[in-house]
Amino acid sequence: MRVLRWSMLAIGGLAIVFGLAACGKSSKKKSAGASKAVSGTSLTIYSSLPLQGASGPQSQAIVNGAKLAVSGVGGKVDKYSIKYSSLDDSTAAAGKADDATVGANARKAVSDSSTIAYLGEYNSGATKISLPILNKASIAQVSPSNTYVGLTTNKPGSEAGEPGKYYPAGTRTYARVVPTDIIQGAAIAAAAKADGCKSLHIWNTQTTYSSGLARNLSAAAKKIGMKVEGNDGIDPKAPNYRSLAASVHSDCFAFTGEIESNGVQAVKDVGTSHPNIKLYGGDGVVTNEFASTSKGLPASVGARFKGTIATLDPAKFAPAGKKFFKDYEKTYRTRNPDPYAIYGFESMALLLDSVKRAAASGTVTRAAVAKALLSTKDRNSVLGTYSIDKNGDTTLTDYGLYKVVRGKLKFDKVIKATK
Amino acid sequence: MEASGATVARRDTTLLARARDLFSRYALILVLALLPLGYAADDLAGGHGLSRIATNLFEGLSNGAIWALIALGYTLVYGIIELINFAHGDVFMIGSFVSFGLWGTLGLTLATGPLGLVGGLLVTLIVAMVVCGTLNTMIERVAYRPLRNAPKLAPLITAVGFSFILENVGQLWLGGSQQGVPDLIHSQSELLNVLGVSVKRADVLALVATPPLVLALTTFISRSRLGKAMRATAQDPEAARLMGINVDTTISVTFLLGGMLAGAAGLIYALYETGIRFDQGFEAGLIAFTAAVMGGIGNLRGAVLGGLIIGCIQQVSDNRIGGEWTPAIVFAYLVLIMVLRPQGLLGEETREAG
Repeated sequence: MRVLRWSMLAIGGLAIVFGLAACGKSSKKKSAGASKAVSGTSLTIYSSLPLQGASGPQSQAIVNGAKLAVSGVGGKVDKYSIKYSSLDDSTAAAGKADDATVGANARKAVSDSSTIAYLGEYNSGATKISLPILNKASIAQVSPSNTYVGLTTNKPGSEAGEPGKYYPAGTRTYARVVPTDIIQGAAIAAAAKADGCKSLHIWNTQTTYSSGLARNLSAAAKKIGMKVEGNDGIDPKAPNYRSLAASVHSDCFAFTGEIESNGVQAVKDVGTSHPNIKLYGGDGVVTNEFASTSKGLPASVGARFKGTIATLDPAKFAPAGKKFFKDYEKTYRTRNPDPYAIYGFESMALLLDSVKRAAASGTVTRAAVAKALLSTKDRNSVLGTYSIDKNGDTTLTDYGLYKVVRGKLKFDKVIKATK
Repeated sequence: MEASGATVARRDTTLLARARDLFSRYALILVLALLPLGYAADDLAGGHGLSRIATNLFEGLSNGAIWALIALGYTLVYGIIELINFAHGDVFMIGSFVSFGLWGTLGLTLATGPLGLVGGLLVTLIVAMVVCGTLNTMIERVAYRPLRNAPKLAPLITAVGFSFILENVGQLWLGGSQQGVPDLIHSQSELLNVLGVSVKRADVLALVATPPLVLALTTFISRSRLGKAMRATAQDPEAARLMGINVDTTISVTFLLGGMLAGAAGLIYALYETGIRFDQGFEAGLIAFTAAVMGGIGNLRGAVLGGLIIGCIQQVSDNRIGGEWTPAIVFAYLVLIMVLRPQGLLGEETREAG
């Protein structure tokens, strides 16, 4: 009996020792994967974007832009051939990014040993899910559209625990090519103030992006002397907002939500309930579809709408930017590229440049590419010259103000908002 | 002695039941009136008069009229085969899409004159009703009839399946984003103002179009042979079959009627909201089903009442409390009503309820 007991104890002890050893080995393997040089000469860059639903056209423009960037370098960086794989993070049923699909896409990229970088997500809320997964594997990630403050800093607009919780590896791997909502919020407030607004009512759709931008806008509006009469979260699934619109009493109204969160209906209902109210929105709604009279705002409401997006007037871009628009129009046979196309191009170009710099400094590993990404300095790009700061934010600060003219977005002016 | 004891006990039970019934009825009225009365008192105390709460309730009634039309489809089907037809909301969505498509074919635009508009919309109404009625009947034939004797879960799953199929069809048809539709009736134009309550064209459309449809349906069910067959089948399908009623045909007619009402609701919704979306049927279906349960499932008048009440709760909540709270408040009302009156406001009319 005593022998049996000692044998059981010995087996148990051995199991614990082997178990601990296996754990140690697996955690070592993870970090080894991040710093291990790529075997072979084929690298994959994944993108994860909502190709279905209301954001589908913008996502497709980003994919087109990214493809143009890859073909611009002949599909090769240094000795490596680049394979671009576009993933869809939305589902047909949801008509927008789906959390489970976002996670599955990120895990797919992590498990592919040829993955070197990741382009995405389109929505800040989706990045909250993919970023920790990719960060653990030290995969460089660039978003063409995220503006939510908390993804990179704990500045106003962020929530408790941000941004640390998105970086379980302890190092930064994420960057974005659009300015944050601190700047966008200030830009919308500045535009409203310039139009003579004295009071502002804000609606948000309770998503990460929307409520964050609403907080930033509210703070910026108060700072420049505007009265904020309300910051209401709306139900994105409501059939209409007419009664809610009746409770808006300000001379100006701002919607910080997304087009896929019933954005058209919300702005339309406020616009029709108050025939003289001035309407504003952020980059979640400044799209060709939102402006279109057939799919978006009726002409009488559209005429009173202005919105911000980081894209500036194509005519005022530097030669590189102008060349992009020319190439894009020629390749995709369109005369009116979506404002997000250039961000898709630049996100991919930034990742390719990071791979190039990592290759130039020695071996190409996931960690080396992420490090190169975060040390981007004075990059001459289609968007102009910018750097990526230590948090992963771009140093670009200008927002373009667009208005709607006869169902089309029309560039109005550049807003130079201070942080 | 024993007999008199039993009589006293029976009287006690009857008194208790009556007291419970009175309590549930009046407590329910109190619950339903809580929100509007509270805000009316608040408005009066603030010296604002009653026009705001009256506007909320009027808009609620017009919004609720659309929910009522959809709720009738749910309650008809549940009443006859005790199935929650999850695809019904999506049939309503197809009604909106068909209407929008037909406006294009008929050339109805903002420039169309009043006569052309009325004629065009009447044609659209008939086509939308026929298409949706046929679609609903086809769904019944393909997905529910073969499962008539299967466990209750089986048709429930096929209903969910058809709901997804129709949503996908809608998405492929008009895309994933909201599709703006021409505001043919200038829905937000004010027709008249009664004591501070603004009466808009959209409200008039919903309130004028719904009652004749409901009346036609109730008359058909109470007066026609097929309607009587429907009621008989709802009460006892086996007995109805023994009496020579073709139960399968009767059930098909029920689906046809439900689908036709969904088609009409689809057209009214498109004109009312001036925007349609592939997933509009999900939310509308949920609200309408809640309305049917609130009014008493299987009860036609109950479905209409439930729809109107939910419309009012939504508008009051949207305007006074905030849109983010509206779904929670609607369902809190449903829970309270179910607790106080499990059979719904006007009582269930199903086989289970007797």
